[in-house]
Amino acid sequence: MSFVSTQHIAPAPPPPDESGWAARARRLLFSSPASAAVTVALGVLLAWFGWKFLRWGVLDAVVGAGDAALQACRAAGAGACWAVIGEKHRLILFGIYPYAEQWRAAAAMGVLAVMYVLSALPRFWNWRLAVAWGVALAVFSLLMWGGVPGLPFVPDDQWGGLPVTLILATLGLAAGFPLAVLLALLRHSGRNGVAKSLAVAYIEVTRSVPLLAVLFLASVMIPLFLPQGMELSKLFRVFVAFALFTAAYLAEVVRGGLQAVPRGQAEAAAALGLTPAVVTLRVVLPQALRAVLPALVNVFIAFFKATSIVVVVGIFDLMTAAKRAAADAQWQGFGTEIYLFVAAIYFVFCYAMSRYSERLQARGVGAVR
Amino acid sequence: MNDDQILRIRGLHKWYGDYHALRDIGFSVKAGERIVVCGPSGSGKSSLIRCINGIEGFERGELDVCGIALGPTARDAQLIAVRRRVGMVFQQFNLFPHMTVLENCTLAPVSTKLASLADAQAAAMSLLARVRVQEHAHKYPAQLSGGQQQRVAIARALCMKPQLMLFDEVTSALDPEMVKEVLDTMVSLAEEGMTMVCVTHEMGFARRVADRVVFMDEGQVLEVASPQEFFDAPRHERARAFLGDVLRA
Repeated sequence: MSFVSTQHIAPAPPPPDESGWAARARRLLFSSPASAAVTVALGVLLAWFGWKFLRWGVLDAVVGAGDAALQACRAAGAGACWAVIGEKHRLILFGIYPYAEQWRAAAAMGVLAVMYVLSALPRFWNWRLAVAWGVALAVFSLLMWGGVPGLPFVPDDQWGGLPVTLILATLGLAAGFPLAVLLALLRHSGRNGVAKSLAVAYIEVTRSVPLLAVLFLASVMIPLFLPQGMELSKLFRVFVAFALFTAAYLAEVVRGGLQAVPRGQAEAAAALGLTPAVVTLRVVLPQALRAVLPALVNVFIAFFKATSIVVVVGIFDLMTAAKRAAADAQWQGFGTEIYLFVAAIYFVFCYAMSRYSERLQARGVGAVR
Repeated sequence: MNDDQILRIRGLHKWYGDYHALRDIGFSVKAGERIVVCGPSGSGKSSLIRCINGIEGFERGELDVCGIALGPTARDAQLIAVRRRVGMVFQQFNLFPHMTVLENCTLAPVSTKLASLADAQAAAMSLLARVRVQEHAHKYPAQLSGGQQQRVAIARALCMKPQLMLFDEVTSALDPEMVKEVLDTMVSLAEEGMTMVCVTHEMGFARRVADRVVFMDEGQVLEVASPQEFFDAPRHERARAFLGDVLRA
């Protein structure tokens, strides 16, 4: 059978779609008896847990702070003791930073937060942003260390809590990422040479050593090798260890991106008379990084959370501070609330990163397709 | 060397591993000449044209491109100097997908300090108008048809004010209905006196535009002749076989 059009067929709208939430729910959740059964069973379970959590976390919860709240928390039938957060939030957020000076740590975090927001907006992506970061880090250091009139000196072994987590993550990535790009470029380059071999060796060795070992190395062994009288603070050593460690992982991700850029791109750029540096920076890298953006953010998130491992070398980050808060004899037994609070903080940062990378892709910054 | 010679190739050999891809190539091109290089696939046409601007290296012989000598061990600086005088257009367009059409055209002139950004943009716009894609200047390459992309690629190369243009099978990746618009652009470029070396299977274009046709097979130049001689009375037996194949299609 065949059909030949005898007249022009005008374009028609598509047939009406089964739309609306009810139709979608039917399709997704009740498409077959088995699916309906699973939906109902899980729904009941979810509702039961949800109700339990709501009662514990909100309805029966105790808020506030102080001894009266503690009494209420100890009472029978009491739910979540959010009072412990009210009581301990300064310790959790700022660790052992001197109590009277903790406004400085808060302000320092505020500076970082402003910079995170500014850096996320493409319209600020120019050389001024780099200058702004330089200034912001100087202000951060000034606020945290102090040592000028009005701001008493606070050595960095007294820093603690969220500012330590943030600065470790920020500086670790800020230093690790450029190193990663350099390593990836060396490893990807066609020319075999000493530099390429060193890059490969560095990446392979670093990736096969546990982060824990690197941290111990940084905190215990490096001081043994330093000349007499020379001292690097533990925080600095751990930051360096983090940056070096992350660089190896990021380098492999970036290399994947470099491999995804067609050869013709670099050839066309070279054929225009561009120098190899311009070919790499303006043509190849932007495409490579965009291609692996989700994988990069994955490493960023893993790295952000991995900063909590510094607890083993005695750095007082957010996680360590939470542990310390949970160990208070008077408020013992409320570790769940404290860890939920800390988890929420980690979640906010990680989820923000994840959403942001998705938006960046959807917006097509440096769109490939 | 003759002053009006833009390109001179002497005794050029190239190997890929053990494979002898180019064997003793030698010819020269005068300013304003249009050369068409043709031959069966695998005959070394693309390798040859890519040696001219140093995208590919070679193992023996010498090149003289726009007054710059290139040997098998040319340094980066020499290659860059040659490439700034020689434009190249590829089969796969190779526009930079993360830049707009205009940015594609201004990147090289601005970063090589040939022109200020404003001057480069003005020059690019007039070249884009010449290849009739000026209304797409602020779009990304993926938003353009293949023919439009290839014309942008030609404009991008022209933005460097080249003394010699290399075309490497620039219509082979195009849908048939877009071949003509690209060929027309090349014809008008030829009519304005641009020196061109074109690797192409478009025999109509060769007949119409070429001053000389270079026929290659198995890495060798077998025949260099005017289009009339080449098409009407090819001397080499393999050229006759090749023409039989492409013209019958």
